[in-house]
Amino acid sequence: MLRVLKNLLAFRRHPKKVLPFSVLFKKFQSILERNNQILELIADMGDKLGGEYVFDRRYVEVVTEKLGDLVFKLISDLSILNQRRNTELFIACEHIRQAIQEELSGKPVLTTGKSVLPLSVLGHELTEQAGTKMANIGDIRNRLGLSTPDGFVITSHAFSEFMQHNGLLAKAESAMKYWHDKDDAALKGLADEMQKSIFAASLPRKLVAEILAEFDLLAERLKLRNITVAMRSSASGEDGASSFAGQYETALNVSRDQLIDGYRRVIASAYTFKAWHYRLYRGFHEHETTMAVGCQVMAEGLVSGVLHTYAPHLADQVMVANAVWGLCSPVVRGERATDTIVFDRTPPYTLRSLLVADKAQRLVLAPGGGTVWEDTPEELHEAPSLSEEQMKNLAEAAMTLERYYKRPLEIEWTYDLAGNLQILQSRPLRYWGASPASEEQIGNATRNAEIVFSGKGFVAQCGVAIGEIFLVENDADLEAFPHGAIMLARHTSPRYASIMHKARGIITDVGSATGHMSTLAREFRVPTIVNTEVATSLLRTGDEITLDATQNSVYRGHITALDRFELIEEEVFEDWYEYRMLRRVLKHISPLNLLNPQGDDFVPAACHTFHDITRFIHEMAVEELIHLSEKREAQYLSAPKRLEADIPLGLMVIDAGGGTTCPPEARSITLEQVVSLPLHELLGGLIGLGMWCTDPVPVDLGSFMSSVTRTFSSSMASPKEIGRNLVVVLPDYMNINMRLGYHFTIIDAYISQEMNDNYIYFRFLGGVTEFIRRSRRASFIAKVLEHFDFRVEIHGDLVVGRLKKLSLLRMSERMRMLGGLVGYTRQLDARMHSDDDISSHAELFINAMKSVIGG
Amino acid sequence: MIAEKNPAGPRLRILILDDEPIVCKRLKPTFQKMGYEVETFTDSASALARLRETTFNIVITDLMMEGADGMQVLLGAKESSPDTQVIVITGFATLDTAKESYRKGAFDFVAKPFKLGDILDCVKRIEEKQRGTRLPGPDAQP
Repeated sequence: MLRVLKNLLAFRRHPKKVLPFSVLFKKFQSILERNNQILELIADMGDKLGGEYVFDRRYVEVVTEKLGDLVFKLISDLSILNQRRNTELFIACEHIRQAIQEELSGKPVLTTGKSVLPLSVLGHELTEQAGTKMANIGDIRNRLGLSTPDGFVITSHAFSEFMQHNGLLAKAESAMKYWHDKDDAALKGLADEMQKSIFAASLPRKLVAEILAEFDLLAERLKLRNITVAMRSSASGEDGASSFAGQYETALNVSRDQLIDGYRRVIASAYTFKAWHYRLYRGFHEHETTMAVGCQVMAEGLVSGVLHTYAPHLADQVMVANAVWGLCSPVVRGERATDTIVFDRTPPYTLRSLLVADKAQRLVLAPGGGTVWEDTPEELHEAPSLSEEQMKNLAEAAMTLERYYKRPLEIEWTYDLAGNLQILQSRPLRYWGASPASEEQIGNATRNAEIVFSGKGFVAQCGVAIGEIFLVENDADLEAFPHGAIMLARHTSPRYASIMHKARGIITDVGSATGHMSTLAREFRVPTIVNTEVATSLLRTGDEITLDATQNSVYRGHITALDRFELIEEEVFEDWYEYRMLRRVLKHISPLNLLNPQGDDFVPAACHTFHDITRFIHEMAVEELIHLSEKREAQYLSAPKRLEADIPLGLMVIDAGGGTTCPPEARSITLEQVVSLPLHELLGGLIGLGMWCTDPVPVDLGSFMSSVTRTFSSSMASPKEIGRNLVVVLPDYMNINMRLGYHFTIIDAYISQEMNDNYIYFRFLGGVTEFIRRSRRASFIAKVLEHFDFRVEIHGDLVVGRLKKLSLLRMSERMRMLGGLVGYTRQLDARMHSDDDISSHAELFINAMKSVIGG
Repeated sequence: MIAEKNPAGPRLRILILDDEPIVCKRLKPTFQKMGYEVETFTDSASALARLRETTFNIVITDLMMEGADGMQVLLGAKESSPDTQVIVITGFATLDTAKESYRKGAFDFVAKPFKLGDILDCVKRIEEKQRGTRLPGPDAQP
C-alpha cells in the first residue's frame, strides 16, 4: 500500500510524462484548428451588427457560450502540450466569461469606476457611465467630427458614490411604493425632502478634488484662465427612447467656485416631483436612476437656435430652424419671438421661406455667472439672424446627425463668437401628428420605379439613402466629395473613412461585407452595399438614386416614401437591446490588446479578451513545440535544427520522421537536406525566386512609428526568445508558423501522389502599420491567392486561403508561389501608399510568377 | 426594368410569430416596405386564435416556443387554410426538425440567425409559386 502511494507521489513529483511526438503534434494542430475557429467566429459576430442578419438574444447567448467553450478547450490543449496547469489562463478565461455573463444578465459591473471623463473619450460605448446625452455628444464630436463645446462629464459612478455617501439612495426607494399606491402627496413630500437633503449633502472629498482637477484641465486645454461651464443632466435613458425634455435642471455660466453647488442643483432636479413622476410613469425603476452631469464650456452665442430636421406640418421635404441673437435657451423655452427659416432637406438646401422677427433683446452671459437680457443694437432688430452660408452649414450638420441617428431630430445649436457652428444637443423628434407613409404608398412608389439593379452583392449596412451619385476613383475625388452624396467606387477601402460622415450611402463593385470598410460603414451607420459587380457600369456621377440597402435594391430617382418609412420606424435597429448587447459582449471578445510578444505585458494576466487568450496561446504553442524538441521531451523526436540560409529566416525545423536527411543530433540543416516536399518547394520560392526584399524599404515616419513596437528581431540571439519561426516536417507534410517583418503566416500542407489527399491551408494575420495599409496588404494577398485557385476569405486583417485536390505538380508550383508571396509581402505594407498599389503589386507579382510556374 | 410587385393584385397577408420580439420587429417593417400586410405575434396562443379568425397567405413561425410550438402552429395554419404557406424559422436547426417540418407541409425551413434577404427570397418564391399555380387554371402543376 505504502509502495503504491510512494509510486503515486513519485509520479506527481515528475509530472512531465514523455509522450510520443505524434501525440503532442496532434495537440498542436488542434490548437491551430481551434485558433482558426475562434477567429472566424469572432469575425462572424462582428458581421451581425450590420443589420443584414436577423438574430435574437438566444444567438448571442449560444455563440458566446460556444466561443467560451472553444477558448476553454484551447487552454486545455495547451495544458496537454506544455504539461502545465496554466492556471492564470484559466482564470483570465473565467474572468472574461463572467464579464460576458454579467452583460447577458443585464447587470454589467462598471469596469472603470472613473468619476470624471473628458469629452474626448466619450461615445455610445460609455453610455452607462456618461449618460445618454453626453455619450451622444461624444459621438457627435468624436465620431461625426462636428464641433461641440469642449468639456467633461461627472459620471454615474460619481453619482452613486455621492448618493451612497449620504445614504440618499435608500431614501428614494419608497417612491415606487407611493407610485403604486397612487399617493401623489406622499411622493411630493418625498421629492421635497430628497431635494433638501441633496442640497445639504457633502460630496466625498476625493470626488470634489477630481471634479475641480478636470475643470482646470479643461481651462488649460482652452488656454483660458476664467472659464465657465454649462452643467446639464445626462441621466440614463434621457434623450434615448424617452426624451425627458425639460425635466431636469440646466445650470448656465457656472464658474469654478460654483461648480459643486451646480452639481448638487442638477442632481437635485432628478428628484423634483415632476421629473420623478415622469420617470415612474415611463416605467423606470429606482435602481435605474443614475445621473451623470455634463459640464461643457459656455459657448458665447452670436446667434443660436433650434432646428427640426423634419417638418411635415409645413411641407414634405423641409427642415425648419428658429433662431435668435445671443444664447439658445430663449428658443428652447419659447420665451421670445424668433426668426423662422424653412429650407430643403436635400442639397443644396434651398431656402423655402424666411420669417424675420423683431429681436430687440438677446440673452447673454452675465459677468458674475448666470445669464442676463440685454438690448440688441437697433440695426439687428429686424435683420435676419443667419447668413446663407451659415444656413447651409447648419443644414449639412443637421443631415449628418439625422443620418447617423436615423430619425428626425431636434438640434440645439449656436454659432460662437468665432463664427463656428457648435452643436449643443440633439434628441429624437417625435412626430405624433405626422402620418407615416402608408404601406400602400411605398408599394406604389417602388412599383413604378426603375430598378437600376437589385439583389446584387452583399449588404454591409442596412438603411435607405437618397441622393446624388459621386464616383470616387482617386484621392482628389475623395477630397471633392460633396456633402450628402452617395459614394460609388470600384473597390472597398478603409480610407473612405474620411468621407463617411458626409456620405449618405456607399455602393462598390468589389468588396466583402466583413472587410474593414464595412466595419466602418456600420460604425457610421451609412447604408452600404458592396460587391455589386455592376454598379460603376450602370451609374455615374450626378445620377439621382434611391439606395435601399435593406432590400438590396437601387432605384433611379427619389423615392421619398421609402426614406420616410425608415425615419418613422418605431425604433432604429442599432439601438435595440439585442444589438446593444452584442456590441457590449464583443467588447470582451474581439479587441486585441496583446500586440507585442516581446513585451513585458505579454502574459496571461494581461489577457482581457478571448482574442488575447487565443493570440497568447498560439505564441506559447509554437514556443512549446520548439522547446520540446530542444529538450528532447518527446519520444522519437530529434533536436530542432536551425536552417542555414542566406536570408534571416530564423527558422527552426523539427523533423517528425523522414522529413530531412541530416543526423538526429545535428543542430543545423542545409537546404539540400530538406526532404519534405512542401517545405522544399516553399523555401525554393522564398529563397530561390529573389522575392525577398533585402533592400531597406523606405518607410515613412508614420508607418515606422506604428511598427517600431513590434519589429521582429532577426538575430534570435536568445534561445528563450518567444516568437521563433517553426516548421514541423514529414516527407509529404509541412506545418509552418512564421512571423516575418510585420506579419504572421501559418501554412499547413500535405502534398503527395494521391491527389485527393492534397491540400494547402494558408493563413495570414496581423501587421502593425496603420489599419489602411494592413488592409491593402490583405487585399493584395487575397487577389494573388484567388488568381492561383485558392478559396479565399477575408475577415479584416485575417486572410485565409484554402486549396484542395490538385495534382502533385500543381500543388508544388503553388507552394513555391507561396514562398515567393511570403517573401514579397514581408514589408509590403510599408510600400502600399494607395489603393491602386493593390492591383499593380498583384499584377507585378503574378507576372513574376509566370516565369516560374506559368501562371 | 420595372419593379413588379403584386401587380394590381391584392396584397399578400403575412403572419409572423416568434417569442423573441426582435425577430418580429425586424421582419415587420421589412415586409411592410415590400408592400405586404403584416401582423406579428409573440405568443402562439394569440397567433393560433388569429389564424382561426382569418386567412393568411404566408405564416412565418418560430419552432421552439412556450405553449404550442411551431409544428402545432404549422398544422393549425394548414388546417384553417390549406393554401397557406408556412416558413419555419429556428435557432436549433437539426436535420430531423427540418425533415419533420417539410413532412408536415412547411414550404421552407430557415435557421436563425438568417439574412433578411434569405427570408425575402423565400417569400418571393412562394409568391411566384402561387401566381404560377393560379394563372394557368385547373391544369396547373401542383
